[in-house]
Amino acid sequence: MSASLDTGLTRGDYPLSVNRPELLRTPTGKPITALTMDAVVSGELSAEDLRIAPETLELQAQLADASNRPQLAMNFRRAAEMCAIPDAEVLGMYNALRPRASTAAGLAALADRLETTWSAPVCAGLVREAAEVYARRDLLARAGAEDGEDTP
Amino acid sequence: MTTAQPRPAGQPRHSLRTDILEARPVNLDGFVEEWPEKGLVAMESEFDPAPSVRVEDGRIVELDGRQRADFDFMDSFIADHAIDVASAEESNALPSAEIARMLIDPRASRDDVLAVTRGLTPAKVLDVLKLMNVVEIMQGMQKMRARRTPANQAHSTSARDNPVQVAADAAEGALRGFAELETTLGVLRYAPLVAIALQVGAQVGRGGVLTQCALEEATELELGMRGITAYAETISIYGTESVFIDGDDTPWSKAFLASAYASRGIKMRFTSGTGSEVQMGNAEGKSMLYLEIRCILMAKGAGVQGLQNGSISCIGVPGAVPGGLRAVAAENLVASMMDLECASGNDQSFSHSAMRRTARMMPQLLPGTDFVCSGYSAVPNADNMFAGSNFDTEDYDDWNTIQRDFQVDGGLRHVREDEILLARSKAARALQALFAYLDLPAVTDDEVEAATYANSSADYPFRDVLADLKGAQAVMDRGITGLDIVKGLESAGFHDVAENLLTVLRQRVSGDLLQTSAVLTADFTPLSAINDPNDYAGPGTGYRLEGERWAELKKLRHVTSATDPESEVG
Amino acid sequence: MTTATPDRTVSLRELGPATRGTRPDEVVIAVSPAFAGHFSKTIVEVPHAEVLRQLMAGIEEQGVGARLVRVRDTADLAAIAHIGAKLSGSGISVGILSRGTTMIHQKDLARLSNLELFPQSPLLDPAVFRMIGSNAAQYAKGESPQPVPTRNDQMARPRWQAKAALLHLKEFECIEAGRGPVEVEAVFELTDAG
Repeated sequence: MSASLDTGLTRGDYPLSVNRPELLRTPTGKPITALTMDAVVSGELSAEDLRIAPETLELQAQLADASNRPQLAMNFRRAAEMCAIPDAEVLGMYNALRPRASTAAGLAALADRLETTWSAPVCAGLVREAAEVYARRDLLARAGAEDGEDTP
Repeated sequence: MTTAQPRPAGQPRHSLRTDILEARPVNLDGFVEEWPEKGLVAMESEFDPAPSVRVEDGRIVELDGRQRADFDFMDSFIADHAIDVASAEESNALPSAEIARMLIDPRASRDDVLAVTRGLTPAKVLDVLKLMNVVEIMQGMQKMRARRTPANQAHSTSARDNPVQVAADAAEGALRGFAELETTLGVLRYAPLVAIALQVGAQVGRGGVLTQCALEEATELELGMRGITAYAETISIYGTESVFIDGDDTPWSKAFLASAYASRGIKMRFTSGTGSEVQMGNAEGKSMLYLEIRCILMAKGAGVQGLQNGSISCIGVPGAVPGGLRAVAAENLVASMMDLECASGNDQSFSHSAMRRTARMMPQLLPGTDFVCSGYSAVPNADNMFAGSNFDTEDYDDWNTIQRDFQVDGGLRHVREDEILLARSKAARALQALFAYLDLPAVTDDEVEAATYANSSADYPFRDVLADLKGAQAVMDRGITGLDIVKGLESAGFHDVAENLLTVLRQRVSGDLLQTSAVLTADFTPLSAINDPNDYAGPGTGYRLEGERWAELKKLRHVTSATDPESEVG
Repeated sequence: MTTATPDRTVSLRELGPATRGTRPDEVVIAVSPAFAGHFSKTIVEVPHAEVLRQLMAGIEEQGVGARLVRVRDTADLAAIAHIGAKLSGSGISVGILSRGTTMIHQKDLARLSNLELFPQSPLLDPAVFRMIGSNAAQYAKGESPQPVPTRNDQMARPRWQAKAALLHLKEFECIEAGRGPVEVEAVFELTDAG
C-alpha cells in the first residue's frame, strides 16, 4: 500500500467508476467490472469483494487534493490505513479515544499498535496528537477512578 | 360559538380581534427573551470573542484572542486541522465587509471565495455573517452550495416499526424524487429488518437512491459495513468542549470515526446545529451561531465531506429568539463556504403556524442547498420516529406547487397515483419475496394490499412483533449482508431491483460517493462537487430549472388544460 | 389554563444532611436545586405542591413510604436520581427537575441508565406523576410494573423547547457546588388563588 500510485489523476477523471474503471479493484484483487449479477448468483462474490481497497482510497485522496480539499484527502489516507483493521478493533480504537477512556500509556500503546501492527502512521499521529491535548485538558483516564460514579 | 360568558370580575376586556389573534396557531409557539450571558442569543452577542490570528513557525499560536497555551480542544483542533495556516493571517486581515461582499458578488467565483474562507477563524466568519441580512445570506448560498444541482432527503419511518410500511413509503419517496432516505426506530432491535426494507423500497422507487439508518454508532456502522445501508449522518458534534465531552466524544474520536466510515467505503456526514449547547446548559456564554461555526470548522478539520446542520433537533431554541432563523440560514451558508456538503435542516417539527413553517424553509429552498431538507417526512408525521418533521406527506402537493410558483427545484415532483400505487405494491412484494428467501417472518398478501393503498401505520395489519424481533436478531446472527439481499431479490424474479442494489453496492468499491456532496443519479452516475461543481456567476448562470426538469415540475395534481379547458392535463 | 380556586403551595424545610435509609420499603424523591424554592411550578404550570402530593400519594397507596431529599450540587437529572437511589433504603428513587422532567432510578444501575424516564416535561400532568409514584413503589417492593405509558407530542418542541432551555439555565444558577444532599420535609399550605 505504501507504493505511491502516481497516477496524476485530475478532476476530469471523476467519477472513477465511469471514467477510470480500469483503476478500480476490490481488496481481493478483482476488477470492479467483475462485480456482475452473474458473479453474485454463481456465488463467486463474497462480502469481502464489496469493500473498498486502500489503493482506491489513495486515488480518491488524489482527487480530493486536486479539488483543493486537503482535509478530505487526509481523511481518505487515514481510511486507507484502516482498511485492514477488523471492524471490532476499529470500534475498540474509537472507544479508546473517547474522553477519559484511556490513560496516557494506553493511548501511546494504541498509537504504537497502529504504527507497527497496521502500518498506519497517519492514524498513529492523530492518536498521539489526541494524547497530548487530552493531557493538557484533563481528558485522560484517571488511574483507579471508578467508572460511572457520580459522587463528588 | 359566541355564547356570552359572564366575564370574571377584575379581568380586562379584550377586543374580538385580540381573541382571534390569540387563537391563531402561531401563538402556540414558544418565544423567549434573549439572555446573552448564557448563550441564549442567536448571533449578535457582545460576549463572543473578537477575531484574531497569529502564526509562528507554521503554527497558529493565537486564535480569536486566545493564546495556544489556553486553547480548549475545539480551538486546538480548529487551529491545527481546519484553518489553512498559509493564508490565515492574510485572509483574516481582509475587512469583513470585503469578504461579505465577495459572497454576494457574482464576479467572485466560488473558488475565489474559498481561497479566502479557508483561512478564516470562527470569530472572523461570524463577523462576516453579522454583516449579512437574510437575502444576502441566500445569495451567498446560491453560489457557495457545493453541488450545482440541489436535492432533497426524506425520513421514512413507522410508528410500529413496520418494515412493510417503510418499504412502501421509501418506494414512493424515491419515486417522488428524494435522493437520500433515512430511517430510525421506535424499538431499536427492529433495525435490521427496517433497514433492509428501506433499502429494498428505495431501489424499487428509483435505482441509486441512498439509504441510512440512524442508530448508536456501533450498530449504525455495522449495518453500513454489511452493505445494508449506504451512508450515515447521525454523528453529532458540539461547539463547546464541555458539551462535546457530555456527548462522550472529542474532535479526535469523531475524526477517527469519520475515517472508519471511509475505510469501509461508506458516505458519511456529521450533524450539528445552533442551540444544542445552550439547550444542554453549557454554551459558555457564546452565541448560538458562534458555537455552530466552531462545529463547522471542526467538521472541516476532520476531513468529513459534509455536515447536516440548520439547528436540527434544537430548532425550537433559535426559533424562539429574535433573529433565530437568520442565524439558522447563516449556519447553512457557513457549512457551504467551508466547502462542505450541507444537508440543511427543515427536518424537525418547527411551528404550529403553516405560514411560519413555510417561511422557515425559504432561505434553503430558494437558493437551493445540497439537501434542502435533511429529512422531509415521507410518512405522516405521526409515523415519524425522528419526532416529526417540518413537512410531511400531507405537504407534498404544497411543496410541488411552491416549486412551480417560484420555478425553483426543491428536489421533488408530482407523480401520478397509478405510478405510485405500482411502486408501493412492488416494494411490498419485493420485501415479501426477500423475507421468504431469507427465512424471515412472512409478509402476507393482505399486507401487500394494505401497503399499496395505505397512508399511515394504522392502515396495516398488525405484525407479530416478537417474531419480527427474532427475525431481526437472526439477520445480525447469520451475518446477512447487502449481497444476500441482492441474491434474494434476483432469485425471486425482482431482477431490476437486485441490479439497482448491486450497482449501489458496487459504488462502495469505487469510493466515488465519498467525495463532497455525492449522490447517485437515476443512471447511476455519481454526481458530486467534483463533476457537478456549482458554477454560479450571476444571472443566467449556475443551476437553472429548465428543459425537461422544468417541464416535469410544471405538473401538479390538477392543472386545467389550455387546449381543452374542460379537462385537466397530466 | 384555569385552575380550581384554592392553590396548594409547598416549601421544603431542611432537616439536615441526607443519610442512607434503612427501611427497605421506602422510595426517595430527589428534587433538583430550584424545586419548590426558586421555582414553584413545572413548565406547564403544575404546582410543585401538586407534583409532590401526587408522587407521595402514588407511593403511599402501594404501602411504601416516601422520603424527600434535595440535591444541591447538580442539575443533571440522571445524577440527581442516582444520588437519590443510593440514599434510598429500597435502592429506588424518583428524581425530578423543577420543570417537571422525571426519572425512576435504581442504585445498582449505571448513572446514565434508568428504570423509567419521562423526558417530555410539558406532557407530565398530575395523573402521570401519581402513576410514576406508584410504579416507583412497586419497583421498591421488588415487583415489575408495566412502565407508565409515555406520551409523545411533536409540537412540544416548537412550544416548549426554548422555555425548557431557559428553565434549565436558571436551575443551573441555583446549583450550590460542593454541598451534599439534604433531607427535607414538605410543608403544604392552602392559599386562595389570586
